[in-house]
Amino acid sequence: MAVRSTEEAARRRLRTLEKYGVFGMVLLMAVVLTLLQPDIFLSAQNLTNILRQVAMNALLALGLYVVILTAGIDLSVGSIMALSTMLLAMADVAGWPWPLAILVGPAIGVLCGLVNGFGLTVLRLPHPFIMTLGTLYTLRGVTNLVSGGRPVSGVSDTIRFLGSGEIPMPFLGKFGSIPVSAVVLLVCYAGTAYFLNKMSIGRHIFAVGGNPQAARVSGIDVNRILLVVYGMSGFFAGLAGLLMAGRTGAGFPNAGIGAELDAIAAVIIGGASFFGGRGTVLGVFAGVLVMGLLRNGLNLMDVSAFWQQTLIGMIVVGAVFVDVLRRRAGRGP
Amino acid sequence: MTRYTLKGLLAATGLAAAFTGAALADTKVAVIMSDSGSANPFWAAVTKGALDKGAELGIDVAAVAPAGGETDVAGQIAMVEDQIAKGVVGIAIAPADTAALVPVLEQARKRGVHVVFIDKRADMPGTYIGTNNIPAARIGAQHICDSVESGSDVAVLQGIVTSTTGQHRAQGGREGLVECGLNLVAEQPADWDAGKAQTATENILTANPGLRAIFASNDNMALGAIEALRTAKMLDQVMIVGFDGNPNAAESILKGELAASVAQRPAVMGAMGVEAVLKLVAGEELPDEIDTGAELVTKENAESYL
Repeated sequence: MAVRSTEEAARRRLRTLEKYGVFGMVLLMAVVLTLLQPDIFLSAQNLTNILRQVAMNALLALGLYVVILTAGIDLSVGSIMALSTMLLAMADVAGWPWPLAILVGPAIGVLCGLVNGFGLTVLRLPHPFIMTLGTLYTLRGVTNLVSGGRPVSGVSDTIRFLGSGEIPMPFLGKFGSIPVSAVVLLVCYAGTAYFLNKMSIGRHIFAVGGNPQAARVSGIDVNRILLVVYGMSGFFAGLAGLLMAGRTGAGFPNAGIGAELDAIAAVIIGGASFFGGRGTVLGVFAGVLVMGLLRNGLNLMDVSAFWQQTLIGMIVVGAVFVDVLRRRAGRGP
Repeated sequence: MTRYTLKGLLAATGLAAAFTGAALADTKVAVIMSDSGSANPFWAAVTKGALDKGAELGIDVAAVAPAGGETDVAGQIAMVEDQIAKGVVGIAIAPADTAALVPVLEQARKRGVHVVFIDKRADMPGTYIGTNNIPAARIGAQHICDSVESGSDVAVLQGIVTSTTGQHRAQGGREGLVECGLNLVAEQPADWDAGKAQTATENILTANPGLRAIFASNDNMALGAIEALRTAKMLDQVMIVGFDGNPNAAESILKGELAASVAQRPAVMGAMGVEAVLKLVAGEELPDEIDTGAELVTKENAESYL
């Protein structure tokens, strides 16, 4: 009896660790950085810098989270982002009216995402890893082909608003402001949370990830769900491309190289399960913040960027290990 | 405050004395590279030059590069922002992308942080500190002039002639050889490539059996030319000068096959980047371009280029 209740308690502790661990980590990192860099870390300038810096990864991670909920993977988001940024910059520089040019990025993103979904549902490629690995290469190649491998600069201020606009917050000090990209993030995260938890199609996404066979038997159109999730992932990558074009004022061929791995890492650190069906939008954002704070903190201390890679790798393994422990405990004696 | 004191000090005691003053211990300068020193010896030398200069002047210099190297544009942008937040007085940067870094660097200037470019410039105004390839190539040509008698037949191997670097090195080589009275019999592009240089050299030798020297616009092509000479058994007759000061070229120089190579001076680039920032802080005007100069690698100093 006594043994039983200790095990119960241990299980509960693990569940708590898994559910809130990543938030604790964000808090811990913020405290450590405040102690190490008391004058700089909590300055309004640095905090808005962090928001600006995590925006792209936050959008890519949100798209990947939805994909990973179905136990899938999307390796092509970095390349989708590059192509979206480039075509949008080219359209804008070529003089397209802004309401049209601004749609180019997200539209290209959705299109590329649907191509991924098409490969899975119609071509029936055995695993999304393969289809999206293919588009990772192909779309990067297309980006270089359309641009000749050269950057396109001179993106207009209207198009740049979402990526580089600032809402002045005078009470936050001289450089106090909230980046418009943070508002974009808020809308996307809140919208996705509503979509996943309150709409039936969102709940179907969880069902497909939890057990695709059962989902099919219960009448869920799995192919349609896959098209939706890869389309969403593409959309967020295209939107990230729009923010990138705003941040840099340019389309450039090396945008988003390796960004898919950062996004996957953020989702995993945020507590989503690679086997699908588990994770929260807030957790994903916390995962994004862990990576953003790590980078910001190491930069402020002029620590070699290689430490960033080393530490992120260790955090990813640690986060998944917690998941493993929980499963083991969950099976019981 | 720091800036004001700095100006006064400079006026009173001159640059060198001022920057060794303890009052400047909190002056921070960032050197932001596009690739890290542990990945690339060129950037390792830039880092060392910048840090040594910082130690010499008693100021706080950070030499950093994004984790993803030259393709990590977003990482480099974040680094610029973080260095501004840290309160640096200026940034010397080798931009990872000529267009994408422009907004954040303009932002830096708007906040009173001085910006200069090293090795590569972004598409915006500002001082560029790097190797001017025309005078550098002339150094190599001069070495040929000093070694063969006037009027000898000589040739130039060009790099990719659509690139500025290729054009400038070929121009400096050509001008240097012609001006000292040598007879330039051939100028051929070999696209920086050893194989193409070997073929080009074979053809030049066939047409000009009396050839005495070749200036190659990079070391790869110089080593390709040496292979052609070896096959033709003309290594003793023709001297080759390359460009870059690469380790394999230094090895060839020590073996007595390659005569010399022109090397850029990355350590000087790092040091000059720091100095240029401090000069801007002190209110000095800087030229649009600062040449870091070049150095001839010969048997005497090739050891240090291995």
